[in-house]
Amino acid sequence: MKGRSFILLVFFVFVCFSCRNSSNNNSQFVFPEADSIPVGEEEKLSTEAIEEIARNISSPVEIANLLQSLAVPFSPDYLASSIDANKQTTSFDKAFTLGILGADLGYLNMYEKTGSSIDILSSIRKLAEGIRVGQFFDFETIKRLSLNKSNLDSLLFLSIDSYTQIDKYLRENDRGQLSALMIIGVWIEGQYLATQVMTEYPDPVLRDRIGEQKIILNDLIMLANPYCNRDPEFGILCRDLQDIKEKYREIRITYTLGEPVSREVDGALVVEQTETSVVEMTDEQLAAIIDITKTIRNKLIANN
Amino acid sequence: MKKHFIALLLLLSTGFILHGQTTDPLVSKCAMNAGPDSKYLKDFRIQLAKAPSAGELRYKTQMSLWKNTKYKFSMCTAEDSKGELILTIKNDANQVVLSSYDPKTGKAYKSVDLVCNRSGIYQLSYDFKDGQQGSGVGVVSMVK
Repeated sequence: MKGRSFILLVFFVFVCFSCRNSSNNNSQFVFPEADSIPVGEEEKLSTEAIEEIARNISSPVEIANLLQSLAVPFSPDYLASSIDANKQTTSFDKAFTLGILGADLGYLNMYEKTGSSIDILSSIRKLAEGIRVGQFFDFETIKRLSLNKSNLDSLLFLSIDSYTQIDKYLRENDRGQLSALMIIGVWIEGQYLATQVMTEYPDPVLRDRIGEQKIILNDLIMLANPYCNRDPEFGILCRDLQDIKEKYREIRITYTLGEPVSREVDGALVVEQTETSVVEMTDEQLAAIIDITKTIRNKLIANN
Repeated sequence: MKKHFIALLLLLSTGFILHGQTTDPLVSKCAMNAGPDSKYLKDFRIQLAKAPSAGELRYKTQMSLWKNTKYKFSMCTAEDSKGELILTIKNDANQVVLSSYDPKTGKAYKSVDLVCNRSGIYQLSYDFKDGQQGSGVGVVSMVK
C-alpha cells in the first residue's frame, strides 16, 4: 500500500513539474502555476533565466510594426507625454519610466516620427543617468540619427541595442529589480498601445496579438515575483500584474498541427509554418483587458 | 612617485574604456546587412570552443515569435572562426521548425526567413558547423 502511494506521489510530482508550461499541439495554453515562484520568496532567478524571459517579452517595435502593417495611422495621443523625467525620484520610478519611454521611442521610430522623439530621448538620458547606466545610451548618435532621418535601420538598432546593454548591465550587477521594472514598463506600454489602437481600429489580427500575450504574462510575473516584498511600490506592481493575469485566465489559446513548408527563393531559404495558434476570446474578455491595461498604465504613469 | 602617476593614468584609462561602451562591429554589420525591408529586433552573440564530438547544437536560447509576422534569422560568422554559424529552431512541443543547415548536402544558409503562424516561445539553437570553434552573431529581424 505504502509502495503504491509512493508511486502515485512520484507520478504526481513528475506531472506537476516536468513541463515548464503546458502548451503543445492540440492542447490549450494554460498558466503554469506549478513552477511559478511564490510571491515574496527570496529565491532569485538565474541571470540566464531572466535574460530568456526578457527576450520573450514582445518588443514594442513588433507591436508598432503590426500597427503599420494594418495601416493604423500614427497618433501622439498614445504616448506617455505627461511623464516628467525630472520628477522621477526613486530608482523604481526611474527604471519603470525608462521602460515606458523605451516603448514610446520604438513606436516613434517605427513610424519615422524621429524629429518628435528628441524630448523623449532627453528624458531617457536623464533617467538612464539617474540609475547610473547612462554610459550605455549613445544619446548624441541617436539624436543625430533622429534629426537627420537618414538611417532608420541604424537608429532602430542603436536604440534597441542601448536598452539591451542597460538591461544586461543591471542584471549582471545585482540590480535585477531595475531590469525587471524596465522590462515590465516596456511591456505595459506596448500592451497599452495595442489595446488603445484596438478600441479605435478594431482588427482580428491585433485582437489575436492582445490575446496571445497570455503566453508570456506568466514569465513577466515570474520576473517581478522575487521583488514583490522589496518595497510597497513593487508590491502594488505585482498585484497589478496579477489583476491583468486574472483577466487573461479564461482566454483559450489552442494549436492546430502542421508541418513547416520550406522553399528556396533566390538562393535564400524561406520556411512557412502551417501549424497555427488560435485565440478564443470574447468581446467581454477583450474589453476587460483593454480596461485594466488602461487603468494600470495610467495609474503607474500618474504616480510618476 | 612616477610609478604612482603611471598607475593613476592606467586606472583612469581603464575607467574611460569601461565607461564608453561600444557595440560589437560584427553585430552592427550583421544587423545592417539583413536587408532593406528588415527591421532589427534582437541579436545573440555566440562564442564556442571546438566540441569534443559533433552532436546537438550547443548555444541554446529562447525567444517569443508571433503569428502573422515574417522573421529573418541572419547568421554572421567572425573571420577567425573554423566553422560557419548555423541555427535550428524548435517550437514548444520540441518539433523542428527550421534549420539553416542541411547535413545531407552540407549547405548552410546565411539567413532563413520564417513566416510565423503560431505564436509561442521557441527554442533557438546555434553552433558552428561540425561543432567547430568559432564566434559569430545571430540577428533576428522582422521583414515587412
